[in-house]
Amino acid sequence: MMRRFFAPLLAVGLLAGVAAHAEDTLSPLRFQSAGTFGSIDLAAAQRGFAVYQGVCASCHGMDALHYRDLQALGLTPAQVAGIAASVKLSDGSAATPDSRFKEPAAMSMSGAVPPDLSSIVAQRAGGTDYIYRFLTGFGPAPAGVTLLPGSNYNAAFPGGQVFMPAVLHDDAVTYADGTKATTAQEAADVAEFLTWSADPNLSARHAVGLRAVIFFVFLAIVAMLTKRRIWRQEG
Amino acid sequence: MQTEAKQGWLASRMPGMSCLCAMLRERRAPGASWLAVLPALLGVLLAVLLASGAVLSVYYNPRQAYASLQGIAHEVRGGWLVLSYHQIGASLAFALLYLKLFHTVLVRGYRAPAEFGWMLWVKLLAVLLLTGWLGFVLDGGAGGYWSLFNATGAAMTLSGFPGAVAMWFFGGPVGGATLARLLVFHVLLAFCAVGIILMARAATRRAQAVPQGRLVAFWPVYAAQYFAALSVLALVFAVLLGFAPHWGLGAQNAIPASTMVVPVSISYPWYLTPVAGLAGVFSGVAGHIWAVIAAVAVLYALPWLDRSGGAPPGRFYMVLTWLLGLDVLALGLVTAFPMGSGLPELLTFWFFFHFLVLTPLVTMMEAA
Ligand code: HEC
Repeated sequence: MMRRFFAPLLAVGLLAGVAAHAEDTLSPLRFQSAGTFGSIDLAAAQRGFAVYQGVCASCHGMDALHYRDLQALGLTPAQVAGIAASVKLSDGSAATPDSRFKEPAAMSMSGAVPPDLSSIVAQRAGGTDYIYRFLTGFGPAPAGVTLLPGSNYNAAFPGGQVFMPAVLHDDAVTYADGTKATTAQEAADVAEFLTWSADPNLSARHAVGLRAVIFFVFLAIVAMLTKRRIWRQEG
Repeated sequence: MQTEAKQGWLASRMPGMSCLCAMLRERRAPGASWLAVLPALLGVLLAVLLASGAVLSVYYNPRQAYASLQGIAHEVRGGWLVLSYHQIGASLAFALLYLKLFHTVLVRGYRAPAEFGWMLWVKLLAVLLLTGWLGFVLDGGAGGYWSLFNATGAAMTLSGFPGAVAMWFFGGPVGGATLARLLVFHVLLAFCAVGIILMARAATRRAQAVPQGRLVAFWPVYAAQYFAALSVLALVFAVLLGFAPHWGLGAQNAIPASTMVVPVSISYPWYLTPVAGLAGVFSGVAGHIWAVIAAVAVLYALPWLDRSGGAPPGRFYMVLTWLLGLDVLALGLVTAFPMGSGLPELLTFWFFFHFLVLTPLVTMMEAA
């Protein structure tokens, strides 16, 4: 009975395990960070940082992050120092690993202010998936939709009109690891990066949680059995 | 022998100590229900809240609430865990308190001589609701800011004595120093809650009939039950901690408060939604505040609204109480996911109707 129940589960688990190692995570789209036991895909998040730095940083700040935090994505201290040194802060000096991410100059596009992206994944219903759909949702407005001046059509944005322009396109960045920079790839990578920044401890949380749950399941079973035994003797 | 000598030494020098020791050594009737464990679990959760709150208060900066919490989650070693302990501890404490109150109403555990204990449990509800709301506000998130903005706005229109109390509490309309002030109340009320829960437990136990027949010692019979209950609570805690740390808290308060952007509607943590829904039905100057006070007051008055004397609860009363539980649940749901107008009004009406009309009528009928 038990085996009959667990065998299909095991098979599904193995299949999922295989899928997690497949190269193509775009069709169908899946994020390694998603799901109960998800963890941050460090390679994708590194690429996502490149997209942020190359494309988004001119408009959006990420004030919760320091350059040194990038070491958590697997960059070496030397690489981080190199990235920081290439950033010119508003007072003209070069950033150091201990600097916070550079704040872009204050701007507004037809009155809309680019939000800080540090925790954007936690702030939007749909999280990572929404960010991906938002970044790939730009396109020509369908017939019958008149856009406000300065706004762009975006299928994922509530109301369909957003003042952020479509900024991602094929080869908007060049990836150091040789991955082909398609629009969808860039959007997925930056979404994974933003997932990490909103919850830098996601992987650790799931690992700690799993261990704690296993421990307390056993403790609860033992405690229940003990209680029943004592109560049968004394109760 | 050794430890008893020590206890005697302490008891003869510190009044109250013998009382504490007696509580643990006291012999009880065997076979108490699992629900009798709730107050102890609630006490454990309050201890978790105080301990995690003590850590948070070291790093929290009320003048930059949002940024300092982000710092706790990102910079402080283990800060994200402590923050989660606090959030989940609060969620579970409310869950257990709601369960405790519901069960007491269901079995009419509020009747004399337990009415004093019941009043303490209702006070605990009032204090925890206020503490929980203050915690929500202290996040520095968009929802909390606008909730506070509305509350102070309403409070400042009060005059006379209520106005003076409101002024003393909020110190005026929301400003840079408001959260620093509210932090003090948040902590103060949390300590009050600990005191109330100890008193409520003692009063509830005193009100129970003196056990007759064969008695058992706390150790090991009840110790085993408490430990089993505690490990199940820890399991639920661990599941939330690892896999649903923000369950029921909503995404809105993750957005930093902005004085420029007014949210269409404020989303509250799940444990405040029934109260928020009830308050939202009443408009006008301080309608919200009076609505909440009235809701707590009818609970407080329950021992006198019940006209049954000593008769055991009848079937009809039980059904009505389950209906009340569903009513409160639904009130929370329609507040969290607004749908169809008129529903919150109907559910709020039923809440007061249940206590002010149905309870006296039905209990009188069933006792006759
Ligand atoms: C030219 C400036 C500019 C650039 C470059 C830019 N954005 Fe934006 N972004 C904006 C503006 C302006 C808004 C606010 C739009 C509004 O509220 O209508 C915005 C809004 C957003 C939002 C919030 C959408 C919502 O649901 O409210 C996200 C997410 C976002 N941008 C992500 C990105 C990412 C990721 C990049 C880099 C790939 C990027 N942006 C590049 C200007 C920019």
